[in-house]
Amino acid sequence: MAKEEKRRPFGMAQVIYTLLIISIVIPLLNPVGLPIGISQTTKDVYNYIENTLPAGSPVLIDLYYEMAARAELEPQAAAVVKHLFEKNCKLVFVSTITYGPIVFELLKSTAPDLFEGKQYGTDYVFLGYIAGNEPAVASLAQSIRGTIAVDNYGTPIANLTMMANIDKAEDFKLVFIVSSGTDTFGWYVRQWYTTHNVPLLFGALSVIGPSIKPYVDAKQAIGMLTGQRSAAEYETLVGRKGLGLASMDAQSFAHALILVFIIIGNILFLATRSKPKPKEVKKK
Amino acid sequence: MIELIGGWLAAVIIVWIYSFVYKDNLLYRLAEHLFVGTAAGYSIALSLDSLNRTAFGQMAKGMEYWHLIIPIILGLTFFFKYSKKYYWIARYGVGVNVAVGAALALRTAPMANIIRQINAAILPLWVADDPLKTFNNWLMVLITLGGLTYFIFTFFPKTEGKAGPVGIVYKALVTIGIYGMMVGFGYLFANTIMTRVGFLIGIILQYLQPRFEATLVAIILAIIAIAFAVMKKK
Repeated sequence: MAKEEKRRPFGMAQVIYTLLIISIVIPLLNPVGLPIGISQTTKDVYNYIENTLPAGSPVLIDLYYEMAARAELEPQAAAVVKHLFEKNCKLVFVSTITYGPIVFELLKSTAPDLFEGKQYGTDYVFLGYIAGNEPAVASLAQSIRGTIAVDNYGTPIANLTMMANIDKAEDFKLVFIVSSGTDTFGWYVRQWYTTHNVPLLFGALSVIGPSIKPYVDAKQAIGMLTGQRSAAEYETLVGRKGLGLASMDAQSFAHALILVFIIIGNILFLATRSKPKPKEVKKK
Repeated sequence: MIELIGGWLAAVIIVWIYSFVYKDNLLYRLAEHLFVGTAAGYSIALSLDSLNRTAFGQMAKGMEYWHLIIPIILGLTFFFKYSKKYYWIARYGVGVNVAVGAALALRTAPMANIIRQINAAILPLWVADDPLKTFNNWLMVLITLGGLTYFIFTFFPKTEGKAGPVGIVYKALVTIGIYGMMVGFGYLFANTIMTRVGFLIGIILQYLQPRFEATLVAIILAIIAIAFAVMKKK
């Protein structure tokens, strides 16, 4: 059987990939508009920003994701940024991954409505990529001006109006970490929350969610958004139709298909197991 | 114009990379090498820029930041790894790097990763008027204890035959731990599927749909490349 599978140019795996692509493309071309419920986790995050975070607060946003993770994380970032801008928060974007400058520019170009009417240097700044991982995060908590001389575009930090009163962890009221890695969250929990008691908000991939939930359960973060699902929920709450909402039908169809495959796989497995094993031919 | 070409290139390369799921082919390898080379070049450029802004730029401010010369020298020692004669010098840079990382993490790790997590696992086992919360808390405590018990490798109480009370409790906790972990792995697997499907959806929406013509051309070329690969094997 294995040999037979090997000889074929297109085996069962390729058929499954094709069906999966079809199940995603069809609802993208013809959206069904399946209803989306809003989870308590997302409501908690929204309520914190809406009711607890003072208007005009400085917020640090670490964009720690690469191109592949854009689909899951950019909609979250866009929805939360919209909410923060609506509260006139001062946003300090930074990245501790090399792809940061690209994803920041992509965020700006794909969601220009967010930055409309907002002035660079007065309402938001981008510090660019800062190498060093956890030590870099710890250094930023101590002093931004002590860590970097200029922002991403070469402007001295001292020349940015918004940064006049923002330098260390205590100056921030919230840190929003949008990350495709697990470690990033730990860096901020250790270097910003435990040391300086700055509230943290996590924006993570769905697959990372189970790993960082213990931090949220231990109240080391005010909440978390995971994957496109949370993004779609947040987009509903802030009233911005983005990629999160656009992808929900396709997600549901793809998951339904995978469920069918899992059920078929299990039935076949059980059927194979229940068959009597062929008796071994004893060697004479 | 550059943005347009960039968009086309992105769409074409994505299709060729995905063509690997059908069969390894020439265009997939071209896209793979292009990606690896570009990513490496980009990372080097960005790292140099970061070094300029965090070190040289700071030093240019005045004598206050001249101590940054020390980490720069320690960083440069890393390159001695390529010398057979002086590779040992790199150990100083690596040593300081590891020590700083460990010291920074250890300063807060016991509180952040141990004490706060233990605190969070201490839950009330009876919540008045909220049976669901009570049930959840029991589950949380039992699965935590069960998971920890499963990973005790220093002693194994007798669980078969005439097992004592310790053996019965041990076996029960281990069983709960195993089932708890299975549920956890299932949750993780489901989230993994969600992420991977999300990536695919995002790629279609962000890169392929807006550059439909380039995508179509790339698909046709990928089919030809796969056909060639199949014929070559025959």
